[in-house]
Amino acid sequence: MLAYMIRRLLWTPVLLAIVSMVVFVLGAYGPGDPVEVRLGQNYTPEAAERLREQLGLNDPIAVQWGRYVWSAIQLDFGESFVFQGRTVGEVLGPRLWVSAQLNIAAFLITVGFGLPLGFYTAKRQGTWLDPSIVLVTLALMALPVFIVAPFFIWLFALQLDWVPVSGWGGFFDRRIIMPAVTIGVPGIAVFTRLMRASTLDVLGQEYIRTARSKGLAETVVNYRHIARNALIPIMTIMGFTFAGLFGGALITELIYGIPGVARIALDSILARDFPIVTAFVLIGATMLVVGNLLIDFIYTVVDPRIRLQ
Amino acid sequence: MRKSLFFWAAALVSVVAVACGGSDGSSEPTEQSTPTPVPTRASAPQISPDLQNGTPTDGSDTGPRSGGRFTLVYSDPPTLDPHLVVDGTSFGIVVELFSGLVSLDESLKIVPELAESFDVLEGGTVYEFKLRPNIRFSNGDPITAQDFKWSMERAARPETASAVAETYLGDIVGMKELINGDAGDASGIQVIDERTLRITIDAPKAYFLAKLTYPTAYVLNRENVESGGRSWTDDPVGTGAFTLAEYRIGQRIRLVRNENFWDRPAYLDEVLYNLSGGVSMAMYENDEIDITGVGLADLDRVNDPTEELNKDLVDTPAQFGVQYIGFNVAEPPFDDVKFRQALNLAVDKELISSQVFADLLEPAYGIIPPDFPGFNPDLEGLRYDLDRAKQLLSESRYADESSRPRIIVTVPGSGGSPGLDVEVIADMWRRDLGVTVEIQQVEWATYLQDLNRKRLQAWGGVAWQADYPDPQDFIDILFYSETQGNRGNYSNSTVDSLVEQARTEQDISKRVELYQEAERIIVDEAAWLPLWFDTDRKALLKQRVQDYRFTQIAIPKFKDVWVTDAQ
Repeated sequence: MLAYMIRRLLWTPVLLAIVSMVVFVLGAYGPGDPVEVRLGQNYTPEAAERLREQLGLNDPIAVQWGRYVWSAIQLDFGESFVFQGRTVGEVLGPRLWVSAQLNIAAFLITVGFGLPLGFYTAKRQGTWLDPSIVLVTLALMALPVFIVAPFFIWLFALQLDWVPVSGWGGFFDRRIIMPAVTIGVPGIAVFTRLMRASTLDVLGQEYIRTARSKGLAETVVNYRHIARNALIPIMTIMGFTFAGLFGGALITELIYGIPGVARIALDSILARDFPIVTAFVLIGATMLVVGNLLIDFIYTVVDPRIRLQ
Repeated sequence: MRKSLFFWAAALVSVVAVACGGSDGSSEPTEQSTPTPVPTRASAPQISPDLQNGTPTDGSDTGPRSGGRFTLVYSDPPTLDPHLVVDGTSFGIVVELFSGLVSLDESLKIVPELAESFDVLEGGTVYEFKLRPNIRFSNGDPITAQDFKWSMERAARPETASAVAETYLGDIVGMKELINGDAGDASGIQVIDERTLRITIDAPKAYFLAKLTYPTAYVLNRENVESGGRSWTDDPVGTGAFTLAEYRIGQRIRLVRNENFWDRPAYLDEVLYNLSGGVSMAMYENDEIDITGVGLADLDRVNDPTEELNKDLVDTPAQFGVQYIGFNVAEPPFDDVKFRQALNLAVDKELISSQVFADLLEPAYGIIPPDFPGFNPDLEGLRYDLDRAKQLLSESRYADESSRPRIIVTVPGSGGSPGLDVEVIADMWRRDLGVTVEIQQVEWATYLQDLNRKRLQAWGGVAWQADYPDPQDFIDILFYSETQGNRGNYSNSTVDSLVEQARTEQDISKRVELYQEAERIIVDEAAWLPLWFDTDRKALLKQRVQDYRFTQIAIPKFKDVWVTDAQ
């Protein structure tokens, strides 16, 4: 098992190198030039040439990529083309941290409501509560963010005056509430339905009947035998959620004025700020690899059936 | 405060515009994410008269007082290094922190700043500046003529990599060699004594002084720049009315009063730029910011006199820019002047302005905007005349539709509307002239690249904004046959010779005549289809804020601002 883990970890840098190469090739052969975006409409060709030289854009693409990989190995991801004199870390770092906190808060809402609701509806299968709850969560999921967010602002900020209209003050600031709810609530439906299906699956298992026939209290059966087993398949989805930890939610960020990562990612693509774009893609790829690896590892810990195979 | 649901629409519109790359067609793409009346470099100012008299105060105390804070929504500036500034967002903050020898006042006149006076010698090739006595940087260091020489040379050095050093300082003797790395210093900048600086330029150029108002010519503190390395602007030593107290990327910039400012210190304790965005209209209503622009969607509401917000409504002056559809005159069918004229004459701009844009845009029949130096109020231009348009079309080489090359007008954007004006114009051409055009939308970086390579047959969705108040910035830069800014391959030997004469003409009224003559030829030959000049826009400004100046060009805004509830 350990050897398998190490082998997969060793492949990660190779994978990242390939991903970065794809970004480089797309940047070099796609339309658009970072120098022209930076200089706008009025500049001399000599000035553009000097800037291109300074940014190293005149070298062959293979040389540029090689240089990037070499610096990246030393954890130097270069400087932004747009924010002059600022490293990629300086530009992306604070925004990644903001997005991560917001995503964690949203995740807590999604899971905090989704899992209990799913469990509850499974236990009430066949009653009117089951389809009603699923319907409500699906309706909440169907509401687009550009309707929900302005409505929240109108209701909670302007009418009730509970929270400011926008801004960011960290995880424990009340301004996180509206964006976290906006991002977190649509996901409730996903976890409700997954948990419901998973719980129903477990309910039909022989060992549940065995547990009940042993005379165990219903709460013990519920929590130790049903819920814990039902959670196992859901971890895969949580792994993917983890991979999106540093992803941004563009419209939510824009409406609530959250200094997160989505806006800078979009702006960087439009401005051909390749160092930022590349770093962002690499972070996404890394998170996906690490997330999957983590889930595989946790499976072997929590589910003896997998360890035996 | 009564609050309403109407701002929804505005929220949606502004967010969608941003998500689509910031181009809503009726205005040029800018970096501004939220509608603030603040920066785009270079547009024109003049305070509207009612503002000049001051908005009504709370009553009791009428004089300016110190203290308080002004908060606004802004975007991250790409740089705070004055020598690297090429965009309006950076410019707007840099002018609060730094300054140069001369600056522009609200009426676009060049006025002494750190220099108390200057003389123009030797027939216009030598400028001798006398610095003010006892002027200091924000850290207390004295400012000397030597600092200016070092700063301008630093702006031009290849390692600084300023994209605009040549544009703004290239006229100074020896600068081109310095920019190319062939010289160690610029012989045209001489330090006569501590307070006297002499600048020699390569030919008498009337517009040179205007260029010195651009940040490329601002003075920096050598010790600060050299010890700070690449990130010296994190803790900059400046000469403006404010200094940088805090910059958190993506979150906020906080400026505080510079106690060593050469003039009366600013009244405000601090200026807070909120960089994380949000719905500025809602933030304004919730008293989180002191100023916001008003979009089309909110216009009806704020114009309603019964609305609370109506009391805060102010006019912001038009920007110095012109929107247009450009023609590539080297490409058929635009190589035929009669065809271009026909397209111009067939567009009823008055109708579009009143029916589509609620008169927020002023039809343009020339190149140079109203109130800008060199504006020609008597220019007739090619006004709507459908009969003449049809006749010119029939006389042109492309009268026959079957042999007419296909026409593509390219606009920037990412999937939204290509711009109502362009759509309506294309429709007018099709309906009234039988000329069919395709509108092609491409993303901004691609658009810019094609535009610079002169690959576009016709293009719209952009505006030209003045960088400094001189007609040279429009006529010479856009239509002289050899300049980079001439994207349409326009070439006319008479225009070229008029522009060359104007460059060195010392008599201001003669220069203006030369540019106006060139402009008349350009317009009559239909090198462009000029579309719109900006007109006044609306903004909301909290009534506690006094002496806030809406300007058409980026000049320091906050040094005279004060708030009635200070302390």
